[in-house]
Amino acid sequence: MEDEEIWQEGPQSVQDAEWAKLSSGFTNAGYREGITAGKESALQAGFDEGFAQVGVPIGRQLGILRGIATALLSSLQTSVTASQNTVSVDEVRAITSQLGSIRFSDIAPPDLEAVRHAREHLGDRRLEEADEMEMPVPEEVQGKRAIESLEDMLAQMGGGAAATAKRPSMDDVNELQKRLLAVCGQMGLSLQWN
Amino acid sequence: MDFDLEELVNVEQTFYEEGYKDGFAHGRIHGSIEGRALGREKGFEMWEELGFYEGFAMLWQVILSQRGTADDRAAQHIRQLLALLAQFPRVNPSATDPTELDIPKLFRQIRSRYKALCAALGVQPTLRAGAPSATAEDSDPAIDLADAPSGGSKSVWPVQPAANARAGAQLSF
Repeated sequence: MEDEEIWQEGPQSVQDAEWAKLSSGFTNAGYREGITAGKESALQAGFDEGFAQVGVPIGRQLGILRGIATALLSSLQTSVTASQNTVSVDEVRAITSQLGSIRFSDIAPPDLEAVRHAREHLGDRRLEEADEMEMPVPEEVQGKRAIESLEDMLAQMGGGAAATAKRPSMDDVNELQKRLLAVCGQMGLSLQWN
Repeated sequence: MDFDLEELVNVEQTFYEEGYKDGFAHGRIHGSIEGRALGREKGFEMWEELGFYEGFAMLWQVILSQRGTADDRAAQHIRQLLALLAQFPRVNPSATDPTELDIPKLFRQIRSRYKALCAALGVQPTLRAGAPSATAEDSDPAIDLADAPSGGSKSVWPVQPAANARAGAQLSF
């Protein structure tokens, strides 16, 4: 049979080419389906991990600080003895406004595996090809970043040089927490939470 | 030499499986990275708001006890609000146990308790504690929940990947 002859007696190069075509075709098809299945198998566990270990603790810390600052401000403003509190009011206002400008993207720690994996992608053509059918940043997150960069743009248009200052960091959050608790201390309010 | 068709099929299968194995391993890395990115955002969004109520309530609690009015109406709202907040999970419940925890209901109760507290204190409630850019409806989990027929689903924040381009929306209950 003719087909058989190609396999048995054809020049080595034809055999090799056919072989390579065959192998890479099936390997790639497998790779494609594997990547989708693998992704789906890990998504939920990743979500739970990011939720519990990063999003919740950081969100809660920032939220508590904002809640305290807001409550302090409203109590100072409604207080009968408001006259002696002017210094505190200004300080609490400053803290509140700085807390208000902090975004999750400013204080979230980098995802080390994501960083490492992105670096691996740089050197590997096969991984790059895989990327083309793959998922970069999730859509929801992307949308939020887009809004933030729009905010930055607007701030720069309005505020000139001051607006180009660097974004806050977790150190700034901790510093604001100290200042906030200092004001509480001055007012004889002792607060603690875990 | 015999031409064995079955062997060729096996060869195809072997190549496919080899590719699948590599792809699966790579996909797992991407899945867990993407999942973490979504989970972080969701956890932050929810607890930034809940934390706001918590901090607000804690501070008013010490103020009221300083003023010696620790058992009036406001103080009661505070105690109830803090009790509700303590019930709210800090891990995605789908990862732990499928209890009968009604997250949307709890969220609604917390919000209305906060508003009641503000009314009792005579201060203006701050809705949507942080996030200056989002509209209330966009990012309000309780509203998302009210829209979604939530019957039957076991995990509270299930991820439903790939099938839906708006996977993010699925995550918000």
